[in-house]
Amino acid sequence: MRSIVNFASEDVFIDRASILSSQGIPEDAELSENFERIYGEAEELFRELAEPAGILCGVSTSQFEDVFRGEGLNEPSNPVEDIYRKSSFLALFAVTLGAVLSESVSELFDNGNYASGYMLDSVSSFASDKLTELAAAYLESVLAAEEPVPSSMRILSYSPGYCGWNISGQKRLFEVLRPQEIGITLNESYLMSPIKTVSGVLIAGSGEIHKFVNSYPFCDACTTKSCVGRMRKL
Amino acid sequence: MELLEQISENLQNGFDEKVALLTKDAVERQIPPEEILSSGLIAGMNVVSEQFRNHHIFLPDVLLAARAMNSAMEVLKPLLIREGIPIRGKVVIGSVKNDLHDIGKNLVGILLKGAGFEVIDLGNDVPAEKFISAAKNENAHVIGMSALLTTTMPVMKKVVDLAKDEGLYGKVRIIVGGAPVSKEYALEIGADAYSYDGANAVETVESFFPVNS
Repeated sequence: MRSIVNFASEDVFIDRASILSSQGIPEDAELSENFERIYGEAEELFRELAEPAGILCGVSTSQFEDVFRGEGLNEPSNPVEDIYRKSSFLALFAVTLGAVLSESVSELFDNGNYASGYMLDSVSSFASDKLTELAAAYLESVLAAEEPVPSSMRILSYSPGYCGWNISGQKRLFEVLRPQEIGITLNESYLMSPIKTVSGVLIAGSGEIHKFVNSYPFCDACTTKSCVGRMRKL
Repeated sequence: MELLEQISENLQNGFDEKVALLTKDAVERQIPPEEILSSGLIAGMNVVSEQFRNHHIFLPDVLLAARAMNSAMEVLKPLLIREGIPIRGKVVIGSVKNDLHDIGKNLVGILLKGAGFEVIDLGNDVPAEKFISAAKNENAHVIGMSALLTTTMPVMKKVVDLAKDEGLYGKVRIIVGGAPVSKEYALEIGADAYSYDGANAVETVESFFPVNS
């Protein structure tokens, strides 16, 4: 299985409350007129400029083992290794909001429209996460078209740079996935371009396989702790 | 309302064009540039900072005020230089080599400018040597570095080491920040400070400059 999928910008837009919450703004906060104007403009720009797309490529466990090993720099003990071995399906993926949106954020900053640039960036960051969820939903629909999917099945994403999977894993991932086809490139420090891009592996399997105790040595340094929320939803 | 108060109030509301016009007006009325800066612009930014700290306004509001501050500084800066009035401090900032993330670095620069510091923004993908040469050439007081990737963080240590080799260490303060960076990492590489966000970066840089210095 190898697919290129285009999504609608409407589908990746996240609700206002979540975006404001990510900026540390309480739901009941009284916002200035300026703030409301800037938020409205950012929302409009996002809908106009986002070009959400993704590429997915199914891989066998042994193929993924090779991708995951990467440059041999992973943490000796990590949750991803335990999870993928228990999976029922694995797909490498990369999703992006496109270059135009990132360029627009830069332009706003360059032209001194700092508040607008910040707001558009904030909206886009959330949308990148939503885009990953849409890629997982797409994979589920593909799997369901082949055979009935058990109700216990959950598909979660894991990315190089997180959970003990060294960021250098991007190199091998790119060699196999070839996301350049949808305009995603990788530089020598494994940074993807456009900036609002997410890559990794979608792991399908029973919800139970995704549960782990986040007490690995590297968990202390993790700034996102997003595993907690993800596991809670399982 | 007194002119400097008007400048302060319009700055708080993020009205950049109005602030620039009022600043020109104040200059034409022979109000000393230093007074316009301290009693109009910085006074306004101080209110903005206080409101931000108390969660009465939020980052986009602060950024609008910072833009207004910058528009006024375009008017005032040549006068301040001509009259030999020292700037608050000069800060060289950049995202380190191979790191193309620049939103966080940009925010730090904008907020520092808003607080009255002169900012030399080297952009992103900045080699260690360039931080050092810019700090030397500009007689900067502070180097601020941002990294968003664990793979690019080592450039920060390279800058600290180069600062030591070039005799800048201890004279030019070094501050680091970015998602994977921590206080511990800053200590480990010998940086002077770590900042977790833009507002904290301003407070940290301000702490390098005692009020009466």
